[in-house]
Amino acid sequence: MAAPTILVVEDDANQRELYRQELEDEGYSVVMASDGKQAVEIVNSQHIDLVVLDINMPVMDGIEALGRMLSRNNRLPVIIHTAYAHYKDNFMTWVAEHYVIKSSDLTELKEKIAEVLRSRGVL
Amino acid sequence: MTYKELVDSTLVMILAGGRGERLYPLTRDRAKPSVPFGGIYRIIDFTLSNCLNSGLRRIYLLTQYRSISLVRHLAQGWQSLFRGELDEFVQPVAPQERFGQMWYRGTADAVYQNIYTLQEHRPERVLILSGDHVYKMNYLQMLRFHAEKDAEITIACIAYPLDEASRFGVMEVDENWRVVGFDEKPKEPKPMPQRSDMALCSMGIYVFNTDILIKSVVEDSKRAETTHDFGRDVIPAQVGRRRLLAYDFAQQARPEQPAYWRDIGTIDAYYAANMELLQFQPQFNLYDASWPIRTLQLNLPPAKILAASPTQPAQVQNSLVSAGCVVTGAKVVHSILSPSVRVEPGAVVEDSIIFNDVVVGRNAYIKRAIIDKRVVVPDGYRISADDEATRRQFYVSPEGVVVIPRAMHLA
Repeated sequence: MAAPTILVVEDDANQRELYRQELEDEGYSVVMASDGKQAVEIVNSQHIDLVVLDINMPVMDGIEALGRMLSRNNRLPVIIHTAYAHYKDNFMTWVAEHYVIKSSDLTELKEKIAEVLRSRGVL
Repeated sequence: MTYKELVDSTLVMILAGGRGERLYPLTRDRAKPSVPFGGIYRIIDFTLSNCLNSGLRRIYLLTQYRSISLVRHLAQGWQSLFRGELDEFVQPVAPQERFGQMWYRGTADAVYQNIYTLQEHRPERVLILSGDHVYKMNYLQMLRFHAEKDAEITIACIAYPLDEASRFGVMEVDENWRVVGFDEKPKEPKPMPQRSDMALCSMGIYVFNTDILIKSVVEDSKRAETTHDFGRDVIPAQVGRRRLLAYDFAQQARPEQPAYWRDIGTIDAYYAANMELLQFQPQFNLYDASWPIRTLQLNLPPAKILAASPTQPAQVQNSLVSAGCVVTGAKVVHSILSPSVRVEPGAVVEDSIIFNDVVVGRNAYIKRAIIDKRVVVPDGYRISADDEATRRQFYVSPEGVVVIPRAMHLA
């Protein structure tokens, strides 16, 4: 089976690079976007198995992007990955598969990714 | 919880997007909730009146197919009764493409696509209603039940005879009215424990705690095998997982006034529910001042019943005659005339429902028919399922009700 493709949406270039390395080490194929608008374009133009989505971003924030991505394919699994807990109060974020608070340790994020991909039969 | 707290923390969502295919041709040009009923009303008026009479004044109406007539009715007849300054509203909402497609794919999808509206209001609970039913219900009592019993989801239910129950969602409850089973339109409905000839049917009225509602519709949206319907998909998936209670609508019955609820699913059910209003003491009393049913009332002159000549009086019996009608030297028996219907001399209208602005020509004969708006029935014309010509030309229901579509030209 081909490696699952993960889209990481993150405006901070350093973090983006870190996630790429760590996820590629896990054997995933990784695609990057630096804002919500780019992310929507990528999702609409190529096959993505899972999206890791930041919320606080320029151009188009994660909540808007979430809606737009899901309006094309509402079975697309999205994991929200943010430094803030308060977006959990926003019902819109409940539409995502998981909500992971950012941390320097990516264990939880990786666990959730594996869990979702397994439940979708991609892993 | 005080009345005010209960009302302030509840948002109403009325699912008014139904195509009403089985009411065709009445739904050819309008959504089912805007189908006329009882002369001056539309089906949606009953649900909206129940909301007002229950003190609920924050209402979203989720619309889609052929909604122009419905939206106009809301704007002209209802929106002025709600005050924006008090955070009151009755607001039609078409699909916004926030989390979904151009159209709602089902009742649960309609709510899913409107999560952002819930976000704006952050109610504690959402009352989900259908715009398709004719009934009188105090929602406040159900909301109280939901809050007092600490339910997560409450479903209103009514006992129906077993042989009719397969049209509905049928519930199984334990002794504490906790729902332990739910089958949508089962072939063999399970009887109630206390009554072996009756089944407990869902009325399509739900109270959800908001968090549970969102979780339920989000979960449903991600499932591969779903029709995105509350009755078929969302509720069955929650049985056994949530604190799901049944609210017995019969609690609201009073000796002089039985609990009344009708699903206007088919032309025959529609016809029967209308005709019930003509009974001497109908189960659904439109004249009950304690529970007024509101609608859009245009400024029309009084109904006028005239003799065509001293030897040709008009004869009107057991009928509802709305404002603006003129019946001249004609016979109208056991029928409902909507506003501004004209019945010309010598005509006979029996057992029929005539919508607005219809003209029934001289010596025309109409029996057991529903005639939609603006139809002109020519002089001497006959409409009756007993006539071969009628059966050939028009829709006739299984129980012999003829339907003439809106503005149809009859030659």
